[in-house]
Formats: sequence, structure tokens, C-alpha cells
Amino acid sequence: MSARRIVLTSGKGGVGKTTTTANLGAALAKRGKRVVLVDADIGLRNLDLVLGVEKRIVFDLVEVVEGRCQLRQALIKDKRFESLSILPASQTRDKTAVSELQFAQVIDGLTELCDYVLIDCPAGIEHGFRNAIAGAAEAIVVTTPEVSAIRDADRVIGKLHERGLPIRLVINRIRPEMVRSGDMMSVDDVCDILSAELLGIVPDDEEIIDTTNRGEPVVLTPDSRLGAIYEKIARRLDGEIVPFTSLNAPGFFGRLFGQKKAG
Amino acid sequence: MHELQQPQVAPVAPPVPRGRAIVVTSGKGGVGKTTTTANVGAALARTGARVVLVDADVGLRNLDIVMGLEARVRSHILDVLEERATIEDALVADKRVPTLRLLAAAQTREKDDVDTEGMRKLIESLRERFDYVLIDCPAGIEKGFQNAIVGADEAIIVCTPEVSAVRDADRVVGLLGNRTSVKLIVNRLRPALVRKGKMLSVEDVNAILRLPLLGVITDEPGVIISTNNGEPIALDDTSPTGAAYRAIAGRIAGTDASAPEIPQEPSLLKKFGSLFGGRNA
Repeated sequence: MSARRIVLTSGKGGVGKTTTTANLGAALAKRGKRVVLVDADIGLRNLDLVLGVEKRIVFDLVEVVEGRCQLRQALIKDKRFESLSILPASQTRDKTAVSELQFAQVIDGLTELCDYVLIDCPAGIEHGFRNAIAGAAEAIVVTTPEVSAIRDADRVIGKLHERGLPIRLVINRIRPEMVRSGDMMSVDDVCDILSAELLGIVPDDEEIIDTTNRGEPVVLTPDSRLGAIYEKIARRLDGEIVPFTSLNAPGFFGRLFGQKKAG
Repeated sequence: MHELQQPQVAPVAPPVPRGRAIVVTSGKGGVGKTTTTANVGAALARTGARVVLVDADVGLRNLDIVMGLEARVRSHILDVLEERATIEDALVADKRVPTLRLLAAAQTREKDDVDTEGMRKLIESLRERFDYVLIDCPAGIEKGFQNAIVGADEAIIVCTPEVSAVRDADRVVGLLGNRTSVKLIVNRLRPALVRKGKMLSVEDVNAILRLPLLGVITDEPGVIISTNNGEPIALDDTSPTGAAYRAIAGRIAGTDASAPEIPQEPSLLKKFGSLFGGRNA
């Protein structure tokens, strides 16, 4: 069986692509799925840091492409999840070191080894973006409820449509109290503007700053609110029907969000 | 009557005054380059300096939105570079500050369409017309980055207190090389998290980057609100964040020699003071 190949992209930088890739990957691996995370940000890699494997990198994606090592040799196995691996980007090269075709061939090679390939796309819509989407069959667009992030997401969705990739949306860093006071766009506003299917909603929570700095996916933290949210998103991605918690229903998420949906 | 003849001296052209070209860059996206460009630019212009903000993020422009000028953009940077518009035609006047202008990026074109040499010349002509040319660089280190830095001889690195942002900033400092004078703004600091040991401190960030510090901006909802509203917070006299941006502008202009203040969490006493309606907070 061949793996699903999913690119996580956004247009705008800093909205949480790498964090989402790491946590969704970890959540899928926790469910027993075999997952490879690919860092497509050649020259500005960070996925290794977020997963805490930066000191274990021997080979990278560019070396695979240049035939200096086998694909399997470049994969770093996560010590916490047996079925999770990462293919790091090169830090000292630039994005033109790999062509779209070469990138797609690396992803093809990975599909024999796992159930999910998650591709962490660089910011922007330049060569690195074109590489990252060349290998993908599906896309997750990560955005935040800010005008500039949504404008960029809209531009990226247009480009993904041109490629015929199915698109789902993760809305990151929602601040419920700001939505309530009318100072931030709501989930519904964002979905209306982008008219894409919703995959998940992640609140702005300082827990993520700390876990990211420490290289620990938040799904590893016991009883973590954010961890539970990423696990729900992973189940949805895996084909389960997981309802978005209604605001109107009493309960934790309803109180938390003060708006229609959460999770 | 004899007119006293001055001895003939070869005419020396007076030096053309050149403004400063400063690129605002970071490597990592989403750390606040555009917000910083808008606010530092607005703060500089408010003192009467002639300032132009250049959006170098062709294809993903946002500076027009953050400045609240998106409805007034008629021509963009590629119209100028490809000679469909003059610089004067393409400059958008700010609604609030009379000496502030915006040169918008093209939204429907690619960064590869921009000729790097043309960009250098464009920044050069802007330096003849303005005291400050602030260039808002796109994320990453691809062609868009090269185009944004080509005309600048000063750089402001915007960095958040996160490991990944520091790593990317360090890479960018390396790429800027020695010809550029580089200074640092630490953005989105949360003093309470720093105190709990859950966020890098300004000292941590600068232990790695080792750059002259222009200023520190705290993470507060007011910035998101002002950005969404297209109103630079630097123009808000009541906002402490606005004051922090104005202090940064003063340091850039050389009118403020004070060392940047590193925001601390209010002490417990002050907190309780404000809780009980005290005047200490």
C-alpha cells in the first residue's frame, strides 16, 4: 500500500506549518501509523529542532538527491515513536539545489516505507514551495485569523487548485477572547473567505512555545489540552468522523472558545 | 569700474544627499517584519523625515494591508521596474503622516520576475528622494530575499525569542555579509514566560546573534488589532508598544542615545497595587 503524501503550506511564514507538521506526525505515529516527515525548507531547516533531533542528523535530503547516501540512511528515527521518522533538509545549501522532479522522486521513494508522508513547506511561493507541492497529492493549508495570513493563504490555495490538490484547512492560534470582543476573525469568517474544508482549529496557547523550544511534540505531554486537539485532527485526517465541539453544548471546549466550533 | 573677477575654479557638483536604505529581514516568516517596517516607518515619518516603505514581497504582499492603504494602490513595483509607471505614479501617500509613502509589491506576479539589478537602481533613485527607504523583505532566503537586500546597506533583523527564529536569523546575518550594518529588534517577548523559564530571554537571543539591540517589542493583542485595522500602533500616543516603536525610530535616527529598555514583568507589588486600584502600576 502506498502512503498518503500531504504537503503543509501557508504562503505566509510563521503561522505554524512546522509545529503542525511535527505534532500531526507525532499524533499519527501515536495511533500506530508509519509516518515520515520531510523538511522541504532547504537552507532554513527547523523541523529537526521542533522534534529535538538536530544533533542526530548525518545525511540530508540534498545528499539523497545527489546520490551521496541511500534514502533510508538519511531518515532519522524518532526515539519516542518507533514509527516516526524525519528526512531533514540541508542547512548550508539553497532551494535550487533540488528540482521539482528530484523532490517528487524522493517522496515517491518514501511512499513504499510508510503510511503518511507529511511535507513541511517553506514560507513563500518560490522554488521551495514548488518543490514541496511537486511531491504531494493532498494539501493542508495552515493559517491564522489575521488579514495578512488569510490573503497569503488565499493566494496559495489558488496555486494548489491549479495543481488539482485537494485542500483542507487548519486554523491556528485562535484567541477566543479576541474573537469574542470582535478583535479577531472567527473560524467561520476564515472558512467563508477561503472556502476550503476545515480540518482543525488550534487555540493560541503558550504551552506550544515551550514544547517547541524543547523539541518535544505536545502530544507527548500527558493531559495536554493542545495535545488532545492535535490527536483529534490526526483522527480526522485518518478518515474518522470527529465532530467539532459545538459552542452551544456545555462543556470544556464550548467554554473555552466562546464561538461555534473547536478542535 | 572693474568687477573683481573671481579666479576660475572647476565647478564641484554639490554631493547629492542620499537617504538611508534599510532592509527589514528575518529568515523565518511571521516574526513581524511587515509590522516592524510599518511601525518604524510611521514613527520615523512622524518626526518629519521623508520615508518610503517598499514592499519586496512580490506575490504575497501585505504591507499595504498593514498600512490600511490597500484600496489606494494603483501601480506597483513591477510597473515601475518594467516602465509602465513612474516612481511618482506608483507611490501611495499615507493617510495620516504627510511625509510617508508606500511602494506596493505586485500581487499577481512572481519574485523571479523582478530583475535584481533593476531593483538596486530603483532603491538608489528612492534614496535621492527620501531620507529613509525601508524595505520589507519576504520570508526565506531565495530570490525575493536577494532582491530585497541588493539596494540596502543597513539591515534590521527581526527575531522572536524562539529557537527556530534565532537559527534562521543567524543564517541571514551570515548571508548579509560584512557590507551591511546589522541591528536587532527582538519581537513578541512575553516577559512572564521568560521569568518562568519557558521563553528565551533577550540576552539568550543575543548571546547567539551578538548584534546591537535597537529595541524590544512585547507580545500584546494591541499589535494584532492595529495590524488588522491597518493603523500602525506607533502612531498611537497612548500605547506603550507605540512608544517602544518610537524609541526604536529615535535610535535609528540617532536622536535617542538611551539603551533599549528590556520589558520586565511587573513586580508583584505593582500587580497588587493595580489590583487594589493603586497608582503604582
